[in-house]
Amino acid sequence: MATTPPSSAKRKWLALRSLTVASIKMYVRNVSGMFFSLFIPLALILIFGFLFKTNTTTTKIGLTNYSKSEISQKFVDGLKGIDAFKIEESDEGEAAGKLGKGNIDLQIVVPEDFGVVDPATRQLKAVKVQSYYNEARPQVGQPISLVVAQIVSGFNQGITQAPVIIGYESKGVKTNNLNAIDFFLPGILAMSIMQLGIFSVAFGFISYKTSGALRRLQATPVHPFSFVVAQGITRVILSLVQVALLLGLGVFLFQVKLVGSIFDLMVMVLLGSAVFLGFGFAIAGWARDETQAAPVAQLIQFPMLFLSGVFFPRDGLPAWLLKVTDYFPLTYLVDGMRRISTEGASLWTVRGDVLGLVIWGIIVYFVAVRVFKWE
Amino acid sequence: MRMYTGSIMAGIIEVKKLKKTYKDVEAVKGVSFSVKKGEVFGILGPNGAGKTTTLEMMEGLKDIDGGSATINGVNVAKDPYAVKEMIGIQLQSSSFFEKLSLVEILRLFSDLYVETKDALELLREVDLEEKAKAQVKQLSGGQKQRFSIASALVNDPVALFLDEPTTGLDPQARRNLWDLVKQIQSAGKTVVLTTHYMDEAEYLCDRIAIMDQGQIIALDTPKNLIEALLKRGFKPRKTVEPATLEDVFIDLTGKELRD
Repeated sequence: MATTPPSSAKRKWLALRSLTVASIKMYVRNVSGMFFSLFIPLALILIFGFLFKTNTTTTKIGLTNYSKSEISQKFVDGLKGIDAFKIEESDEGEAAGKLGKGNIDLQIVVPEDFGVVDPATRQLKAVKVQSYYNEARPQVGQPISLVVAQIVSGFNQGITQAPVIIGYESKGVKTNNLNAIDFFLPGILAMSIMQLGIFSVAFGFISYKTSGALRRLQATPVHPFSFVVAQGITRVILSLVQVALLLGLGVFLFQVKLVGSIFDLMVMVLLGSAVFLGFGFAIAGWARDETQAAPVAQLIQFPMLFLSGVFFPRDGLPAWLLKVTDYFPLTYLVDGMRRISTEGASLWTVRGDVLGLVIWGIIVYFVAVRVFKWE
Repeated sequence: MRMYTGSIMAGIIEVKKLKKTYKDVEAVKGVSFSVKKGEVFGILGPNGAGKTTTLEMMEGLKDIDGGSATINGVNVAKDPYAVKEMIGIQLQSSSFFEKLSLVEILRLFSDLYVETKDALELLREVDLEEKAKAQVKQLSGGQKQRFSIASALVNDPVALFLDEPTTGLDPQARRNLWDLVKQIQSAGKTVVLTTHYMDEAEYLCDRIAIMDQGQIIALDTPKNLIEALLKRGFKPRKTVEPATLEDVFIDLTGKELRD
């Protein structure tokens, strides 16, 4: 007797569609799940966004003006007129103290003779505007003092006419300033893709397994594999929505610049979520219950969370660790997404990352199929 | 006149020398029985007798290691999906998807079958219509079992399998479920159930198979089984009261469902 196929293609599709719709409903109505997958990356973006917004876009300068000349006042007003600077006028000693504590980024001292005409030569006296930056934070101090130097030179040139200093100010700041949120956002997106894949699948799916819901599904003519696919589709859709939301937030709230193509970025998102879903299914399929799954899930995600360059560049890692972490799936994802987003790289340029993810995908699905147990 | 006794007499469910082995243990040692269309067939036995394993092999949920099971002419081992298409299964401890309402779950299950019944109609049949928008976790034990039966009826099955449907229910809910099983039988469906309660088997089942250690040790109507025992000279320990303690309980607390 020939085995009749379990169902026609159309029926399979209908079943898969219903299971997917049901999976999405279940997911969206699960408040704690939504909390973890949306709120945490959201909170991280807000924290990093506001933290680095104040640090990078406004520079605090402590200013001490010993001169009483009109020109010196114009110079100070000119500095104050620059949006990127926050000028605090105080006496020299106090400003030096603040610089030491990191409360200000640069200290400027305008000497007494600034803008004062030498009665002997009838010319302005030659003076030196002194600036100090904290040597412990050269990345902040150096570029700013450079900007101030340009302002001073510009002021010098224009001293006979009205001072034109605004033209000089913006140059140095933007090229030198690594906008922190631009760096963090792709990392946080990659992290949220990993966590949605590993945790929401591992725990969500295991609960269907332990509660008997999966077994109930086995009593129907639809193979429970359809349910695995439905759960996978749900997670991929959610990953895309999540990334779009977080990216939108970054762009509108913190002026994150997405240099590369959004399409290329979304391809990376799809690829990454497929790989991490594979991890989730491998864990969920292998584990008998949550207590078995939790340590394995943590063991997989924890090293990646800190060593794949989500929160800080991996340059600081020791050479051997750098070599090992080079091959982490999250490293490929973070690197690919970050280079597309901040450098405008194309998928072809980051093909090494794409290839790395594809290989991980093959490995992890092979393992998942091998270790999968329905009960 | 030629008589096709074979096909006319054959039951809707035919089980022949069914076997299941777990590693070294033979859980089911070649059981055979036949269930007639429209009857309620009970499988009784102590824990570990092989009742659930037998049931799950018939349902296509467990691989058959030896012998065969046929439902409505379809061999379970050869075409488990075709069998699942036409039977209804209530598992011993099944749970449903969280965060979905009863009607949503029934509609989801409907989409998995060719032949389907209306979700609200099903809920009405099991008296859960006003709970249509509730979730399973908000139901009482009896309501859960009734819902579980409703979910097993979405495909309008020819045979319904119930694994210990009344375990853990209070007397009111238990009797209410009995009425439901009778109602399903009167709609022309065949029911196979397992139970630990003898009064339940006596009240519901047309025929009973008693299993022990993987084998069927008796199979007949409840009445015949009792008569056979009495013929062997059995004397009850005490004279049977015309009413039971459960009758007292129901009389005092009423038949009204408490869920």
